Amino acid sequence: MSEVIIGLETHVQLNTKSKMFCNCPTLGDDEPNTRTCEVCIGAPGSKPRLNKAVVSKALAIALALNCKINKQMTWDRKSYFYPDMGKNYQITQYDDPIGKDGYLMVNDHKIRIRRVHMEEDPARLVHPGGSILNSDYVLVDYNRSGVPLVEIVTEPDLDSPEEAREYLRQLTSILEHLGVYDSGDFTMKSDCNISLKGGERVEIKNVSGLRNPELALKGELARQQRLHGKVKRETRQFNPVDGTTHALRTKESEMDYGYIVDPDLPWLVISDDQIKEVKDSLPELPAGRVKRFVKEYKMNPGQAYTLVSDKALADFFEQSVKGYKNASRVAAWIDTQLLKCLNYNKETIRESKVTPKSFMELIELMDSGVITERLGKELIKDFVSTGVSPKKLVQKKGLGRLELSDLEKVVGKVLKDNKDLDLKNNPKQINFLIGQVLKATKGQADPNKVRELIKKKA
Amino acid sequence: MVTKELVKKVASIARIELSEEEVNKFTKEFTAVIDWFNELGEVDTKGVKPSYHPLKTENVFREDEVKECLSQEESLINTNHKEKGFFKGPKAV
Amino acid sequence: MKAEEFAHQARAGKINLEDFYVEYFKQLRKIDSKYDCFITISEEEAFKQLEKLPRGKLYGVPVSFKDAICTRGLQTTGGSKMLEGYKPTFDASVVERIKAEGGVIVGKTCMDEFGLGGFSTNCAYKTPKNPIDDSRVTGGSSGGAGVIARAIKGPHIAIGESTGGSISCPASFCGVNGLTPTYGRVPRHGLLDYACSLDKIGVLSKHISDISLTMSIIAGFDKRDLTSRSEEVPNYSMPQPVKDLTIGLPKEYFGEGIDPKVSDCVIKSVKKLEDQGVKVKKVSLSMSKYALPAYYLVAMSEVSTNLAKLCGMRYGLELPIRKDGFNEYFSKVRAVGFGTEAKRRIILGTYARMSGYRSKYYLQAMKVRTLIINDFKKAFKSVDLLAAPSMPVIAPRFDEVDKLTPLENYKMDILTVAPNLAGIPMLSTPCGEVSGMPVGLHLMADHLQERKLIDAGVALE
Repeated sequence: MSEVIIGLETHVQLNTKSKMFCNCPTLGDDEPNTRTCEVCIGAPGSKPRLNKAVVSKALAIALALNCKINKQMTWDRKSYFYPDMGKNYQITQYDDPIGKDGYLMVNDHKIRIRRVHMEEDPARLVHPGGSILNSDYVLVDYNRSGVPLVEIVTEPDLDSPEEAREYLRQLTSILEHLGVYDSGDFTMKSDCNISLKGGERVEIKNVSGLRNPELALKGELARQQRLHGKVKRETRQFNPVDGTTHALRTKESEMDYGYIVDPDLPWLVISDDQIKEVKDSLPELPAGRVKRFVKEYKMNPGQAYTLVSDKALADFFEQSVKGYKNASRVAAWIDTQLLKCLNYNKETIRESKVTPKSFMELIELMDSGVITERLGKELIKDFVSTGVSPKKLVQKKGLGRLELSDLEKVVGKVLKDNKDLDLKNNPKQINFLIGQVLKATKGQADPNKVRELIKKKA
Repeated sequence: MVTKELVKKVASIARIELSEEEVNKFTKEFTAVIDWFNELGEVDTKGVKPSYHPLKTENVFREDEVKECLSQEESLINTNHKEKGFFKGPKAV
Repeated sequence: MKAEEFAHQARAGKINLEDFYVEYFKQLRKIDSKYDCFITISEEEAFKQLEKLPRGKLYGVPVSFKDAICTRGLQTTGGSKMLEGYKPTFDASVVERIKAEGGVIVGKTCMDEFGLGGFSTNCAYKTPKNPIDDSRVTGGSSGGAGVIARAIKGPHIAIGESTGGSISCPASFCGVNGLTPTYGRVPRHGLLDYACSLDKIGVLSKHISDISLTMSIIAGFDKRDLTSRSEEVPNYSMPQPVKDLTIGLPKEYFGEGIDPKVSDCVIKSVKKLEDQGVKVKKVSLSMSKYALPAYYLVAMSEVSTNLAKLCGMRYGLELPIRKDGFNEYFSKVRAVGFGTEAKRRIILGTYARMSGYRSKYYLQAMKVRTLIINDFKKAFKSVDLLAAPSMPVIAPRFDEVDKLTPLENYKMDILTVAPNLAGIPMLSTPCGEVSGMPVGLHLMADHLQERKLIDAGVALE
């Protein structure tokens, strides 16, 4: 058994058009309290109206995570008082989650999924003093109140902060392939539970994204290790600015939610036929797509896995290679050069100005010999930063493959300028000469061709 | 037996601040009420399913469509605790 | 005058509505000053409605709403200080439907705070008095509705609400008809919640035909309340003769704790139906003893969650926000805004669903509820209607009510809680007097069988 024991409870906002229990839009005007109604501000007399798309998306998630489906469900009221609550109870699924006992593979490690359930998002709090600790009051925006959430809870099967991140990456890919979540517009937040073998468990609440949970867990792991067995069971908050966690009041964990069934909502009954229909019509999921990439594009599985782990990237790839024969070459360029540049610019493919069309322009410029592979690797940096098409960049910089006659002229000049070099006795000095030619041609020359020409002329 | 401590505890969960007088009064009254509630324990409910609704009701949904919302002004109309378009509330600790 | 007749005459131009309402509001205010039945009288809004009134089935008919029903832009308090001055941004379904048929809103009637009470003595604004004897209570929680339905001369439809008997009780004590429809028959969108699995909007009036006319307008599915029924709404305004009906008298509803003079009135009334061909037999509802505690546990558990939203933010009573943490702020606001009975039920309801107690109280009550529903279903296999007194006594005096302990208060609902728990429809109709005070006959029918109640009500009118 692992020394480090991690479990995640991840809340994902679903990409429905309207909220979970009312017809307010989930996206739109970001001015506070412009996307509300009597239901999502909890006005007395309002009643919840369940959005059928929330159920169908949650069902798809539960099936994609290999869960057993609960066919008869009530909704529950989880009572607690907090300034971000519209009704001081949250409508959730406590007794009857829609999915149970599923799993997700992370590399070859089976991460068991304890439950998948639906619930509503509370409002967004703004602390006028900058943080929760130094504000005398709160400001509340109910635009977020009532957005549908699916909560996915793992068993404590994750072995390391790195594996936790990889789990979230794979989970995100599954959700995006299902079409139930968009990481660009919607949020994923995790409560991260971590303990050292034999020690107390600490929960770090509300950590958003993929990178932050890994950071939070790494920091917490180090803290626990420093305490040498004296870890207190508590709930902590992660500060993304400095990467630290601090303890919340321990009372948090003693809350009594006083669950009752929500009588405003009818029973939710899912038939075997409905389950079969959703299962049969599930879109291509990451595992299947990886297999297909390996087969169809003759990639190596590692490349395929990297691409498919980010749906937008896999989509970018497939659009790029339409009608192009050497898919593997494109995959390699995306996997190495493109990703490197995106990371450098702190972007994902979603935000990037690079399009499949403009990217293939770069590939084709290299294929046709207008620029070298080496130059391509240089050019891609500007291309990703500015979004200016490779063709235009080549034009602007006056690049482009030299005519043979021009190259011969340059080689001739370099040889003349360095005629005291004795290549016969110092063959390695050819590299110096090649370097000079490249310098003179601003890197446009193909080093192999230059070597060839020098040997001929010298 | 309902004790004052129990009444205070439950009142605090319910976020109602009680005066000493109220605590005393309720402690006395609740003992009789809860004894009465305990009579339900006489009923054998083994195998009986709970009725959360008096009539069977299942699978009533609405379509995923966007409809007109309240304006910011309408949303905030019933409170004086507002600032810059936000609702204002007590601090979150 | 009956509403249907009034609307007909008004549509025919025989009534000048402007003139009518000038006099009507004078009468209304007089009744209110004597009996304290209105929290808000909406004269200005009514005249505004007259400017553009739809020529519908209720054209020009005055309608009052229990103050638990949201009226857009018009104060809706739930009888509580918590919502003093609260003006909803939307109309309840029933308000929309009535307005669309030309009904004119004349005011919001007094009620026990959020429905929590059986005598309307828990209203934070006024305590309504019985119009027949003003030293006596009106019954609750729709007390104001009972008063105005009884005291007004002229057409009036009083919309009330029942959770554990809050239509039947004031109807019985004030001597008017009160129909509590099947749970879900009338949508609850816009009804301030007491207990969501128990609340039902209904109608009080002197005339059964007013009730059937109103029901035909307010009943029917509304997509904003998913528990509202989608079964077709029958024509309530075509009463059938009762001779083929069978009535059952539950023995548990006529025994200990019921004033024998009240029982007598009821039996006499049932005899009148027998004379019209109705068959009468004795039945037993064996779970009756447990209906009261089961009802209160369900109702309190649910109401303690429904009233949690009232905490001094977004709407309702507010205190200055200084530096209090949220727990302190909420606790202070709720201490000031809620009356004693509301506090009692919120605390008891919170207890009933706390971990460690939830199984024993909340869940057990829900299971007993199933047995109570089964009781009724079994009875309705052999009878069409059940009959009993609506209340065990005539309207008590205020000084008598003051002496009751909370438990004694709760036990007054003994005859109405079981049918309310089961969600079956019921009609309280006047059936005589004891010591000058009205007695109510309580007729109960199986789910969605309101028509049989109306038929019997007409037969007795």
